[in-house]
Amino acid sequence: MLLEMFQTLPQVLIDGLTLGAVYAVVALGYTMVYGILQLINFAHGEIFMTGAFIGTALFIMIMGWGSAIPQILLLIIVLVITASITGFIGVGMERIAYRPLRNAPRLIPLITAIGISFVLQDVIRFIAELTSGNYIVTGPSLFSENINLKTSAISSVFNDASFKTSFLIVLTVAILLMITLDFFVNRTKWGTAMRAVALDRETAALMSINVNKVISITFFIGSALGGATGVLFALQYGTIDPYIGFILGLKAFIAAVLGGIGNIRGAMLGGIMLGVMEMFAAANLSLLTGGIFGAEYKDVFAFAILILVLIFKPEGLLGKPTAEKV
Amino acid sequence: MDILEVTNLTKEFGGLTANKDVSMNVKEGSITAVIGPNGAGKTTFFNMITGVYQPTAGEIKLKGQSIVGLKPDEVAKKGISRTFQNIRLFGEMSVIENVLVGMHNHLKTSLFGIFLSLPNTKKEELQAEQEAYRLLEYFELSHLINEKANNLSYGAQRKLEIARALATQPKLILLDEPAAGMNPKETKELTDIIKRMGKEFGVTILLIEHDMKLVMELSEQIFVLDHGEKIAEGNPEAIRTNPKVIEAYLGSAAVQ
Amino acid sequence: MKAKFSSFLQHKWSQVILFSVFIAVTSSALYFSQKSVVSFLLLLASLLVLHYMNLKKVTKWIVAAGLLFFLIPFASSGGPAFQSYMEVATMVGIYISMALGLNIVVGMAGLLDLGFVAFFAVGAYSYSIFATPQASNFMPFGVYPLGGESFWAFLIIGGICAAIAGVLIGVPVLRVKGDYLAIVTLGFGEIIRIVFNNLDRPINFTGGAMGISSVTPPKIFGIELVFPNQFYFVTLVILLFTIFAVLRLEHSKLGRSWKAVRENEIAAQAMGIPLVKTKLLAFALGATFSGMMGVVFAAKQAFIDPTSFTLMESFTILVMVVLGGMGSVPGVILGAAVVTVLNLQVLTELTNWVNQLSLNGIVSIPDALSPAKMQKFIFGAILVLFALYRPKGLIPSKNKIFDASKLKVSKKTEDIENKDSVVVENEKVQV
Repeated sequence: MLLEMFQTLPQVLIDGLTLGAVYAVVALGYTMVYGILQLINFAHGEIFMTGAFIGTALFIMIMGWGSAIPQILLLIIVLVITASITGFIGVGMERIAYRPLRNAPRLIPLITAIGISFVLQDVIRFIAELTSGNYIVTGPSLFSENINLKTSAISSVFNDASFKTSFLIVLTVAILLMITLDFFVNRTKWGTAMRAVALDRETAALMSINVNKVISITFFIGSALGGATGVLFALQYGTIDPYIGFILGLKAFIAAVLGGIGNIRGAMLGGIMLGVMEMFAAANLSLLTGGIFGAEYKDVFAFAILILVLIFKPEGLLGKPTAEKV
Repeated sequence: MDILEVTNLTKEFGGLTANKDVSMNVKEGSITAVIGPNGAGKTTFFNMITGVYQPTAGEIKLKGQSIVGLKPDEVAKKGISRTFQNIRLFGEMSVIENVLVGMHNHLKTSLFGIFLSLPNTKKEELQAEQEAYRLLEYFELSHLINEKANNLSYGAQRKLEIARALATQPKLILLDEPAAGMNPKETKELTDIIKRMGKEFGVTILLIEHDMKLVMELSEQIFVLDHGEKIAEGNPEAIRTNPKVIEAYLGSAAVQ
Repeated sequence: MKAKFSSFLQHKWSQVILFSVFIAVTSSALYFSQKSVVSFLLLLASLLVLHYMNLKKVTKWIVAAGLLFFLIPFASSGGPAFQSYMEVATMVGIYISMALGLNIVVGMAGLLDLGFVAFFAVGAYSYSIFATPQASNFMPFGVYPLGGESFWAFLIIGGICAAIAGVLIGVPVLRVKGDYLAIVTLGFGEIIRIVFNNLDRPINFTGGAMGISSVTPPKIFGIELVFPNQFYFVTLVILLFTIFAVLRLEHSKLGRSWKAVRENEIAAQAMGIPLVKTKLLAFALGATFSGMMGVVFAAKQAFIDPTSFTLMESFTILVMVVLGGMGSVPGVILGAAVVTVLNLQVLTELTNWVNQLSLNGIVSIPDALSPAKMQKFIFGAILVLFALYRPKGLIPSKNKIFDASKLKVSKKTEDIENKDSVVVENEKVQV
């Protein structure tokens, strides 16, 4: 049994890293917004999904004009355009649905968040169905050369693993995005303002920080990252539909909680961990339980992690415990 | 007879010591005050007594029985009730409902009683409502019974919090800055109420307050906290002239 | 003129006359012209009108019972659409009951539960498994399927199973603070569905994705219940019980402690309310009503599979509560009725109408925009618009109004009461 687990390990790691990178970047969006507003932005998963659709549409459109553009350049153009569009969607969403409710009971913004999420799903479905006749869309295949990794050469317990070039792209872009964000938050003026608002909104306002602007910027960056990850997802997995965002968003949220909600590096760590653990569970759950639990239970597994973390270490792996002021 | 005995109570938050080795005894039936500059750890002290925080070390005894480790609702059942520095009313509920919530533990009805609306349940409910009304009359809030707690004036909210706390029929009531934000007239009224309340409800009163006039007028015993430590205790006269207290409030220059 | 008219409307007898005319017209319209969905809906709406009428509570209840038990079933029985009307009315009843259950959790106790359909599923499966040969796969004794008479016992068993599920889910979940609860319950809702979907091996409990079919129909006095009009009455009785129970709870000690927890957890605890126990009770009681209706649903459909218990169902019930007014019993009833009718009747009717128009070439509306597919958009819009502009819903919840004159204790009784309280105080000193 152990042997079988080892055999699949290289492949599990590659798939897990890919998925984990996606979770990590999406988790950043949750964690930034939560850190600053203590709000779970349920609609963030939908921003990710919207990004995937915009990206796919752009790929198809630009490639339709003539495919003289090198793939890498194409990717960069698409990423930038998509990220700006989803960034603005995020800002608009905050304006319309969250800002008026900043002093409402905490239940209310959660409910609008769910509402926004539904509306986005249906609008995207509608547009996709109207333009392509089907709401399930398959994008052009890019970076799809298969690379074989001779992991069996390292040790005979491993099987060989394989991946598409897009795996490297996803990983690289995700890491670049995370490094940039980390730099932005920790080293720039607006990043400092953001941290100040997260700590204490009123005092930050007294220090002449424009709180509304900081919140808008937070939503812009979080949503832009989410949208960009959507593009990466579409690139890696090919087929997308309007409903991919919801569950993936939840998993990313779990990743954020796992790493410590409000903590940016925690979100990255949590994302990668969750991705790898989930792939491991999908590959080995059936093996470990003697066939009683199959790969279908991988979502159950993710939620189980969430519940365990919340009960035993609610501040997450990298978060600091806080006590409510009485 | 001491109703509350606190010995060597200490609370640490990470590296910060909010209370250090605080000991104090509160006499049954007395009005006792805890004073000290901002950030002296007074509210933390209240939070430990009511079970909101668990002390890092030390002992708290109510009528000789340890209450350390109990949850806030269990402490309330033992007979300690409180108000909050930042008012915590049930804002969307009506004034009388707020007081009725305070009676929670004294209503014995079961689920079946509620579903079947048994005569006992009905009678108990009516009695509770009448008692709540009487309490509100005492605090001159009875004309507002159907008003939402949120819509009350600041002073009325403070009074309602005390009424709600009394509804739990406590042996000891902790008032956290009851006069904060009140105008002089309201403060005067409140002082009178607190003075009468102890005897009429058979309750011991422990209060935190910054209004020294109120403190000096009401309290039999005063404890002074500074930087989490008890620096003085005694009757109002002794505290007024205690150099350590003056130093804590005005800085060492004032003493010299 | 306007003032005169409104005072005319305020008058009790003019209200009664207008109301009688209204139900007479709508019910006869429904009876004689069977295709008139509008008159069916208007007849249902008469209950809402009744709610706002200037009558005594008892009178309103009697009139409502008369409408529900006699007039509505009779008026819809005039033709072939009878069963479809009864089907809609039954579903309305089932959803109202569930929404009232969720209202306890979300509206009163302020706990956002996004996996509420799980309890409905537990109820539905508990009856389905034992009322089909399914149970013989794992039960060491007994002959399965159980007979149709067991349905009545399962109404209670299903409710209890759901309550237990509520407690089991609640114990870990309710320790979690505020916002996380939404995510965790959502997770649990999904977990239960995934488990039901895969529990066909190693032992076949639930039939997996295939579901369970040919559930034994309920039996009473030797009559098998198979038609919607029969289930209509079963649902109606349970629904009335639910409404009755929820109303009693709302203004009881328990209802107050739920609201107190919703308003301020720390203060509620300081008043001696145990947080976890109070929240668990909300979970368990809310789940019970849902579980009972799950049993009815399974019996009515005679077939269940995991697709009836998706996330979307949980959200649908939430929409009902938010639309109607969180914490408001009449509001939630209205919200549930509106959303169910919208789902089952209005959207399908609209779709048919739109298709008709497209067929006739009058307008061409793309299939993507067909109203039946717009459910999510409509629900999302309702959630956003109501949260922003009408967070208290269609019929906002009201606090009970107390009559000060009844609470003032008269002089004579006051003396007795005073003696009582003296005794109490003596007791206190002794303690």
